[in-house]
Amino acid sequence: MAIKRRNFLRGSATAIGALTIGQAAPFYFARNIAKAQDGDTIKVGILHSLSGTIAIIETSLHNAELLAIEEINAAGGVNGKMIEPVIEDAQSLVQVFAEKAKKLLLNDKVTAVMGCYTSASRQSVLPVFEEYNGVLLYPTLYEAQECSKNVFYTGAVPNQQLDEFEPWIVANLGRKKCYMIGSNYIYPKETNREWKALLEISGAENMGEEYAPLGHTEFSTVLNNIANSGADYVFSTLVGDSIVAFYKQFKQSGFTAEDIPICTPITTEQETAAMGAENAVGHYTSFNYFQTVDSPENKSFVERYKAKYGANEVTNAVMEAAYFQTYFLAQGIAKSGTDADALIYEGLPGQEFNAPQGPVKIDEKNHHTHLWARIGKAREDGQFDIVWKSKERIRPDPWVDQLYPNKDCDFTNQSVLDRLKKPWSEEKNRSGTMDI
Amino acid sequence: MLQQLFMQSLNGLGVAGILVIAAAGLAIIFGVAGVINMAHGQFIMVGAYVAAYVDSQGGSMFLAIPLAFIVVAILGLVVERGVIQWIYDRPLETLLATWGVGIIIEVIMKFIFGTLGQKVGWPDLLDGSIKIFARPPHFPYYRVFHVALAIAIMAVTFYIIYRTNFGLKVRAVRRNRSMAGCLGIDTAKIDMLIFMYGSGLAGIAGAVIAPIKAATIDMGFSYAVSSYMVIVLGGVGNLLGIPTGSFLIGEGETLLAFRYNTVIGQLLVFLAIVIAIRVFPRGIFGYQERR
Repeated sequence: MAIKRRNFLRGSATAIGALTIGQAAPFYFARNIAKAQDGDTIKVGILHSLSGTIAIIETSLHNAELLAIEEINAAGGVNGKMIEPVIEDAQSLVQVFAEKAKKLLLNDKVTAVMGCYTSASRQSVLPVFEEYNGVLLYPTLYEAQECSKNVFYTGAVPNQQLDEFEPWIVANLGRKKCYMIGSNYIYPKETNREWKALLEISGAENMGEEYAPLGHTEFSTVLNNIANSGADYVFSTLVGDSIVAFYKQFKQSGFTAEDIPICTPITTEQETAAMGAENAVGHYTSFNYFQTVDSPENKSFVERYKAKYGANEVTNAVMEAAYFQTYFLAQGIAKSGTDADALIYEGLPGQEFNAPQGPVKIDEKNHHTHLWARIGKAREDGQFDIVWKSKERIRPDPWVDQLYPNKDCDFTNQSVLDRLKKPWSEEKNRSGTMDI
Repeated sequence: MLQQLFMQSLNGLGVAGILVIAAAGLAIIFGVAGVINMAHGQFIMVGAYVAAYVDSQGGSMFLAIPLAFIVVAILGLVVERGVIQWIYDRPLETLLATWGVGIIIEVIMKFIFGTLGQKVGWPDLLDGSIKIFARPPHFPYYRVFHVALAIAIMAVTFYIIYRTNFGLKVRAVRRNRSMAGCLGIDTAKIDMLIFMYGSGLAGIAGAVIAPIKAATIDMGFSYAVSSYMVIVLGGVGNLLGIPTGSFLIGEGETLLAFRYNTVIGQLLVFLAIVIAIRVFPRGIFGYQERR
């Protein structure tokens, strides 16, 4: 078992060598693209993980953004200039997100960046965008309670997925005993806090709450607890592989969607395909977008996506946001030019677009996005029947009134603007949040 | 309450079954050849993708099991002949090398199958559950299957190691490698065959675990970690170490998760293992070297 010093040194040298090559290759590649096309283009950074654990979903966002850029360029670009994507791979590593964001802003001098997926990745790049006054468009649904000057949030915040969902369950499914299961991190915990507030308003009962470690796939205990609690429906905020395992084991253990439906703001077409549609049938998902949305815009979007990336691809809500935020950005640049502050205060706020889910709009005050709410019931082919749709698009509220009655975010408020006029070195709080 | 507790201990047994299946290959390779295969999780993953492929062609999981065994055993052969055979006596380098092999396998699989999770279905025979009590949760057939398969794997392995001529040589190599070599046993060949057998078992593990979730690129990691824990707790001095370690961890995790919650359950089991290592540094069935 003796480790010889020479062998150890040789081993370490090999390992370090391999690591260096692995890191250097994509960097070199990306820089070459940037150099080759300097000139009359508008550079836009695309920062998603194309490798690593969350590459599955982030690659689809990356694809949707590139599709939109291709379409915009085919239609003549913006103000006569082509959009040039500068692509970086964040490798599913939080620290790489921050490094690459800095590189995109300082080396490539991009006009704006579209990117990130998890809250952790967004929070790691946030200080970079605030310090160097960059613009980030972020397409994921997230737990809200954030409102940075430099970020435009085009995914749903909890009030847009939950506020109508809980009363709908009570009114239409007649169920008032809820068991909450989620993955153990910030999004499920914050979402459940709001869900509990909603349960209280409609007089429903909280029968239990449990969190499984990220990536957990063994749910027999949880299923046992659900049966034990007497709940008549499950509210799930599980993410990733856990979703597939939970639905499968739920069915295998003899539960049915008729007895105990699973209601969730997360499970998309992507997961129902991975678990086998028969395991998802009859369960409910609340989302802004489903592939089955019946509109000419969506039909053509799905067609174009499949034509570019393959007939077996499914579209989902997050990539739909990635798609339309690219148009937001193009329209914003057309309106105000490429200067960051002009984009932030004039170009992007109030921007509207006829997205696949319906007309969407960036809120002038809080820089989140007005979205439609829909409830889908999973069917045999893995797609969702839309059983309910909001009458109008729903205003985003990053600080929901039930939990934060005294907080709001308003970038049109003069005191907020005065504070944000100061340079970063003097005023490090770049949030539009204020007490009311 | 009693129903739940009873179901919970059954669940623990099911989890223990999965652990035995997942850990057996790793334990056998470590026990005989002295190599900790850091690519074990990836071997499991390859087995799962074999099952996904068979499933997509309309084949049953029962066909996937032998196929996964063969495919991953051949993979094991390639890794052993291509890399491990030169560095058997250098534990640190086998760790690094198998770690690297694992990364290579992951990237190759990603190239072939993409990053999306692949669906793996159950054979109709195992679809459903035993209704012990009137209301769910029932005890799914796949758990019964996992436990039965775990027993079968242990029985076959026991037979090979303790009842065949080949097993006699394996035990001789394990006891005293150089002496066995002097007596004319081809130790390199024994190592190679054991590496193939252990790898094949990892393939089977992937093929039977995938149907309770989906085949994904990073699925092997958590099972590899559990397998290392089973080995640390059970020890590799005796084949009984595998089922013992699996049973203690499986039941411990599920019962504690029921009493407290999943996160605390895992935490307490980790803690218990740390204490157990203090008492049994080589695992409960540790191999006592002669001095």
